[in-house]
Formats: sequence, structure tokens, C-alpha cells
Amino acid sequence: MQTFVSRRLRNAALTIAALCLLMAWLRWREAGLHATSFDTGYILFAALLFLGLYNVRKKLPVLPWTTSAGWLQTHIYVGLSTAVVFGLHVSWRVPDGFLETALTALFAATFVSGLIGLYWTRTLPRKLAKVSEEVIYERIPTLRSQLRDRAQHSILDTVHAAGATTLGAFYSDRLHSFFERPRGLRYYLFPNNRLRKQLLAELTEINRYLSEPERKTCEQLFALVRRRDDLDYHAALQWRLKAWLFLHIGLTYPLLAVASLHGVLAHLFDGGSL
Amino acid sequence: MMPTEVAVVRPQRWDVPFGDAMRDEDVDQLLKIEPFRSIDADRFPTAIPLRGILKNDARINSYEHGDIIVREGDYGNSAFLILQGKVSVVLDGLDPAALGRQPPAKKGVLQSLMSLLKNPRLPEVRSQFQPNNENITADRHPVADLAQTRVFLQDVPRMLEGAQSVTLQAGEIFGELAALTRTPRSATVLADGEALLLELRWQGLRDLMRRTDALRLHVERLYRENSLRVHLRETPLLSELPASELEAVAEATQFETHGNFEWHATFEVPREAPPQDAIVSEPLIVEEGSLCDGIVLVRSGFARLSHRYGHGHRTVAYLGKGQVFGLTEAIESYQTHETAKVSNSLRALGYVDVLRIPQYVLEQHVFPAVADSVLTEVAKKHAVRCSHHDCELPSGAAGQEQAHVESDLLEFLVERRFINGPQAMLIDLDRCTRCDDCVRACAATHNNNPRFIRHGHSHGSYMIAHACMHCVDPVCMIGCPTGAIGRDQETGVVRINDLTCIGCSTCANSCPYDNIRMAEIRDRRGAVVLDQNTQQPIHKATKCDLCVDQTGGPACQRACPHDALVRIDLGNLGELSQWVNR
Repeated sequence: MQTFVSRRLRNAALTIAALCLLMAWLRWREAGLHATSFDTGYILFAALLFLGLYNVRKKLPVLPWTTSAGWLQTHIYVGLSTAVVFGLHVSWRVPDGFLETALTALFAATFVSGLIGLYWTRTLPRKLAKVSEEVIYERIPTLRSQLRDRAQHSILDTVHAAGATTLGAFYSDRLHSFFERPRGLRYYLFPNNRLRKQLLAELTEINRYLSEPERKTCEQLFALVRRRDDLDYHAALQWRLKAWLFLHIGLTYPLLAVASLHGVLAHLFDGGSL
Repeated sequence: MMPTEVAVVRPQRWDVPFGDAMRDEDVDQLLKIEPFRSIDADRFPTAIPLRGILKNDARINSYEHGDIIVREGDYGNSAFLILQGKVSVVLDGLDPAALGRQPPAKKGVLQSLMSLLKNPRLPEVRSQFQPNNENITADRHPVADLAQTRVFLQDVPRMLEGAQSVTLQAGEIFGELAALTRTPRSATVLADGEALLLELRWQGLRDLMRRTDALRLHVERLYRENSLRVHLRETPLLSELPASELEAVAEATQFETHGNFEWHATFEVPREAPPQDAIVSEPLIVEEGSLCDGIVLVRSGFARLSHRYGHGHRTVAYLGKGQVFGLTEAIESYQTHETAKVSNSLRALGYVDVLRIPQYVLEQHVFPAVADSVLTEVAKKHAVRCSHHDCELPSGAAGQEQAHVESDLLEFLVERRFINGPQAMLIDLDRCTRCDDCVRACAATHNNNPRFIRHGHSHGSYMIAHACMHCVDPVCMIGCPTGAIGRDQETGVVRINDLTCIGCSTCANSCPYDNIRMAEIRDRRGAVVLDQNTQQPIHKATKCDLCVDQTGGPACQRACPHDALVRIDLGNLGELSQWVNR
């Protein structure tokens, strides 16, 4: 079985070789006084179409067109190559026209979102795997509700049984909103354990003022806060993994549309026939 | 307004007899011959009478000369009693092409696309939910012996030329080993002239054996005798042994059975105990430190190889069918003329059948026939060396390079009995982005119904998802009253025939891994299908079929963009080692 390292080396070598061949061919074309902008334009457009085709492959898993992992590998290296082809196409200058600027911005946004996505898909799963519990994204709201109900019931039971309200008041002030609501956008963008640490520290602090039955409930709350925070962490990272893909695919369609328009206009204003 | 429910008659055992329905006269004739004549019909409950078993779980097949009755390697769910004529049991492997093996039908590109377009929006929609014979025989992907495919061998004498064969006569039984142990057929059986056979599906055979001691003892004797020589021939050092020497080995081989055949019912219990107690509670076959008195061959089931470590026992490896224990020590004893001590313990994991070949037999008949250098090489290959930190495992089953799997991962796989899964869904959580492409692909290939859950027991960064593992020992097949669940003859995939499933949940309850789901079914309009007598929903057992009808293999594995998911044989340490050490 091929290791990931050897696969990476092989694919990188093949990509570099292909790019070198392309540049040599373009040199040869330029030496023959051919304009290479259409050559690079068509190669780039074909590459973009191929990259977009990966989403079609995902939508049609019943078709026997190799593995998705194979497609993704090709997608990554073809995607990386498009940056070089794009540079060759624009002759390594910053475009100044409105359409060209929009097209460059779209290409850059799609390319960068791809790079960020590649980084996240290689790093976030390890972070998720380190969390104690594995959860399915769609089940997170249900699990949150269950945790909230367990926390509320344990507090109410303690108040009814022991008559002490110290922990109940603390729950109402500090933990109710934590268990009740999902975390905000800021947490989703930059998940951290600050609130967890803070709440656990506050629980530790209040422990000295609690009666014996309340202390037992407090221990349960410790565990529930940890579980809830783990769930939120899972939710934030899994959301990010889904959101970037949504953005990346979403950018592909306007990119292809504007690139098509750019191609048509290039032919129209080239002086030749379309 | 669209109906929300529709009532039908709940499917029952024997709604679909085994093949063409037997006539009452046929059953009367059978009850006049042995072994049925001696069976006490009063010992059978009213719901499952002897006549009912013979009428519904049996069929009479007639064969012409050269017809193949069973093929080596097929997964069979039935045994055969010869009523008239004789049959030849071919012990050597015949050419698969000559045996008429056809690859299972796969969907073409257009068919696949069309099925995608036709996928219903509602879950578990069935176009048909009433079983009938026409549909069973028309099933393009027959399950087990529900399809009576008949293959004829053109030139029997030429095919059998030089092959070892045994002739069985009227009154003898064969095929019971595969039927009762859920293992592939060990030999090909051909009709030798015209022959009339009674084929008994294993559910019926099981019911007969349960209430007939003589039949049970008879079948157990055959079970012990029939496949011994075949197994010995597949063992290292014995494959090239002259026939006379092999005969001597076979004569001296002892049969042993350890553990509980219905292990799935109790395997959860030891896990609740501390791990060191769980290992000790497993039936001991050979104890570490005892004097080597021969080798042990695993015939079926699994055994744990463990080594004392601190105050407990550390799992070194697990042995499955065809693997050998104690060979290194046996060779060492022979070469040094001093009885070596066994360096590891061997314990039954659930249920295991083993063959024990005594040391004196090896020294008289086997080792002298093998060159010393070969013996040394074999001993080295089978050796397990343990250091303070870890153990070096024996080579993988397929002879791959030295396997290296972390001890804690091994313990996890053994404790949970995942080693039973040749097609387990293993997910590397360090690479899985939780994108659910695998689930969507599974749904797309199964009428919008995913056939697994991307969740399950995990250890470190590895998770075994709830997907059917198509087990080596598929205990889900035990107790299916209609034979709806069975193995595909060609692929070994355990499949459920939706039309003959009566929704009794026996398979789902038997599965120790919780990989079979019971689903409420709907008709094409979306109405939930109800039993017209009880008004309760009709359920069908559903599970992964390994995309047996899809070109390219399991859609889940093909759909994973990050190489995080694999269908893997967890009984093969070499394969597992390669995957985890990518």
C-alpha cells in the first residue's frame, strides 16, 4: 500500500513536470511568434471545468468513475497548477479592466478558499478526534437539549430535596444561558475554551458555599459543562468544515460564468471570428 | 388524499417454501425412510411439526450425471441427503471456470443513472412487499440456495482425472458442515449417474437436530470427519506430504471444540469485567509455559494469542481459520531433541474448532520429510518475539511483510470481536472531515436509504462504524426462520432477501455489533405498510450489502475524498498493519 508521503512526492513531481512541459511548449510557441494568451486561456478554462467536475462526481456516486480520493488528489494538484497557468495567462501582472479584475478576484478567492480548505481538512479532523466523544453534526442540537434537561432536572431536584438555593441561583445566573443557547458566531469562527475554564473555575469557587447534596449536583454540573463545551467545539469545527466547502463551491459557479464571458469577449475583440 | 397506511397480511415462516412446494405424498415417502422413520414426531412443537419441516424446509432435487450439486468455495445454507443414486465428492480444487462460476450481475452506467433518478424521496419505499415464488426465482441476485442454479460438467472423467474423490451412496448426508458452521463448501460434489437428493435448508436441519439425538450425533460425526484431510492439505508443511504420511497424520489428529457456538449471546458479559479477568475467563486451549506437545490448527472461529505481562495477559495476535499455533516450539523441540516450552497462551474467542497434531506424529511423519533449512525458515516465520514494550507479530495471513499493530488497538479489536469482520468499515478519525459523503453515496445507491451509521466504537483515532462486516462467522444468520438472510454464493456478501424477510428482528437482535436495522416500510405512495391483523407496521431488516450490484465496489469507500474510510479485513493483521501505517 502506498504511503501518503510517497503519494505526495509522486504527485508533486508529476505536477512540476507537467508545468515545466507547459512552459517549454509556450516558449516554443512564442518563439514561433504565436500569441499564447489563447493557449493559456483555454488550458486554464479546461482546468477550471475539470475542477468543477469534481462536484458532479460527488453528486453521482453510483457511476464507476474511480474513487473520490483519487479525484481529490487530482483536484488539489490541478488546482495548485492553475495558479501558475493563471500567472502565465496574465503575464504575471495585475489586471486593470473591470471584468478582468472581477475575474482575478473570483479566481483568487476560489484558489485561496481551496488552500484554506486543504489546510483545514488536514488539521481540523485531528482536533476533533482528540475530543472525548465523537458526535454526528445533525445530532448536536438534540444532544444539547438533553444536556440542558439533565442540568435543569438535577438543579430542580436538589432545590426540592435540600431546600438550598445557592447552586440554583448560580445556575440561573451563570449556567442557564450556557446550556440554553448555542454559542455565537464569534465562537464558531474562533472556538476556544475560555468560557469552559471560567465556568469550571466559578463552580470550583462556589463549591465551598454549598451543602452536601448541592456538592454532588455540582460535580454533575462539572461533567455536563465539559460535555456541553465539547459538543460546542465539535459543532464549531464541523460547521467550519462544511461552511468552507459551501463557500468554495459557491465561488466556482460565478468564476466559471465570468471566465466564459471573458473568453467570449476575448474572441469578439480579438478581431477574428468567433 | 394520499393514504398514510396500508394493511397487508404479515409475512410468516414457510410463506415461501424451500423451492417448489413438496407434495404430501413426497413427505409421506420421506417419513418411511431413514433417518426420518426413526424420528419421534411427538417431540416437535405444534408450530414446527416434523411434516412441516419436510414440506417447507426441504426440496427434492434430481440430478443428471455430471451435474454439480455443490461447488467448493460456495457459501451454502443447506445439507443434502442422498435418496437415490450416488455422488462424487471431489477433494482437489477444480478449475473455477469449469465449475461455471459467473461474476455477480453489476449495474451498467445507464442502469445506475436511472436508479438514481428513480430514487424515492421517502425512506424505505418498497415497490413490492408480498413474497411470492415468482419473485424469488426472478430475483437477479439470488441469496444463498434460494436460487437453484444448475451447472453441468461436460466431461466428468477428464475433469476428475488425477483428482482425489470420494463416492457417497444413498442414505448418506453431505453439505452439513457449511450449512451448520456458516462456512464455505469445502469440496465440489457431482452427481455420479442419475441421483435424487433431498436438500434441507439449515433452519430445518437445525430444528431436526435439536429434537433428534441420533441425527445430531450422526451429523456431528460427519462434521468431524469430512473436511479433515482438506484442511490438513492447506496447512504449511503438510501440503506436500505424501498421501500415506498425511493419512497417518489424519488418523492421529485430535478434534477439539472450545467455547460457546452461540458466543454472540454472551460476548458482551466479559467486557464488563476488568480486562485482565475477561482474558482469563476465556477457555484456555494451550497455556504459556507448558511443554510443547504438538501443534494446534485453527479450523474455524478465532483464538487469542496472549503473553503474560505484569499481572495480566497482553494480546499478541489473533488466529483465524487455517492459522497454526505452536509450530516454532514444535520445530525447536524436534531440532534440539529437548521439549520446548510454549511461549504464548492460546485462548478461544467465543467459539473455536481446533485440530491438534501430536508432537510424536510430527516427528515421525512430517518433519523428516522437510529439509532442515525449510523448517528453520518456517519456525522463524511463525515466531512471536515479545520485548518489554511490544511484541513482534507473525506474518500476515496472506504472507505479507511483518505486521505491526499497536498492542492497545489489537486489544480493542479482540475485545469487541471486530476480528470477525472481513469487510469492517474502519474510519481514520484523524483524516475524516465528517463530510458525510460516504453516507450520501450509500443512500444514493440504496434508494435513498443509507445502510450504515457513521458512528460506532472508537479507539484512539480509529472508529469501527455501524456497517455490516459480512462476518466470517455471521451469527445473524442463526435463527432466521425463512432463510431470508444468507451469503451470496459468489461474493461471500451476507445479504437479506427483502421479499422473504418477515421482520421478526432475529437477525438484528443476534448481530453482536448492532449493524442491522429494522425499518418500517412504505408503499410507493408513501403509506406505511401495516399488518392487516394487528394493525402494527411491517418491518424489514436492512443492512449494508457491500454494493454488490455496483460496479466499482462499496460506494462508501469510493466516496471518501480523504482516504479516511476503508472496508478492511480486521482478521488480517498484515492488511490492517499496512493501512494504519500508511
